[in-house]
Amino acid sequence: MVEVDNRVPLDWDALEVGEVFEKFDYVLTQEMIDEYRRGVMDPEAAFPTISHKVDVRQFNAKYSDNGSVNARCAFHCYNSPVPGKKLTVTAWVADKYLRRGKNYIVTEATSVDEDGRLIDRVITHELKQPWEVGKKWDG
Amino acid sequence: MGWIARGYSEGDAVAPVVKEMTQEAINLFEGSAGHSEPSQFTDEEAARETLGTSGTVASGRMSISFALEMMRRHFGSDVFNHTGTVDLRFLRPVRPGDTITFTGEVTGTSREANGQKVNVKIEAQNQRGDTTAVGTGSAIVPNAFLPPEE
Repeated sequence: MVEVDNRVPLDWDALEVGEVFEKFDYVLTQEMIDEYRRGVMDPEAAFPTISHKVDVRQFNAKYSDNGSVNARCAFHCYNSPVPGKKLTVTAWVADKYLRRGKNYIVTEATSVDEDGRLIDRVITHELKQPWEVGKKWDG
Repeated sequence: MGWIARGYSEGDAVAPVVKEMTQEAINLFEGSAGHSEPSQFTDEEAARETLGTSGTVASGRMSISFALEMMRRHFGSDVFNHTGTVDLRFLRPVRPGDTITFTGEVTGTSREANGQKVNVKIEAQNQRGDTTAVGTGSAIVPNAFLPPEE
């Protein structure tokens, strides 16, 4: 069965800064934490939430585009997540800008666990013409 | 867990963190969040289509993880996991086979309502000496973790 793509083609000009996406939640399992720690080669890594890319998840679920390159990312630690707890994520479009003819979108998200503990905050600047930098990287 | 009160001064070096990047590590990082579909990080064909590169690249978020580790080791998990930040700009790709070294230097401190904020300049370089990422980090160290003032 062919899956239907109901996403909206991204119109950078029309995208509204401040758009808040529907909240979503997931349970962070010990297995996820262990796999993340092996991936980053750090047995004490406390914020496996970074690999979940929660700030762009709802954006990518709503909009279709040609992909992106992460140009900048900021991460704020508040409390390390506890395995087995449900995390609720709120994400929004924090900014957009045009620099050297390239379009950027800034997304931001906070994660809160089921006990109300603020876990982290992540802010990502994505360049929306990924092939432009790809060419440069391989050039 | 025990801790030692210590002060922070401009110019203090942060002990480096060195990582040998492999495709297996990238796959584990992506897989840990259930990202199983082919992507520019895990699949050469997807990387060619999306980026036009000849091979896969590591997510910038892996570099964030490495910077978090360096900062956590410097400040201790009791401090950094509650007040720490990292903010990186990604300048060049990190690829499987690269060795990436993260370094840091304290650039200044300031008094905050809840302790002393310590700012750190962060840089990541690959084995060729190319800078792959630059940025800043910080932690607010509670007064209880600082030496008593004279």
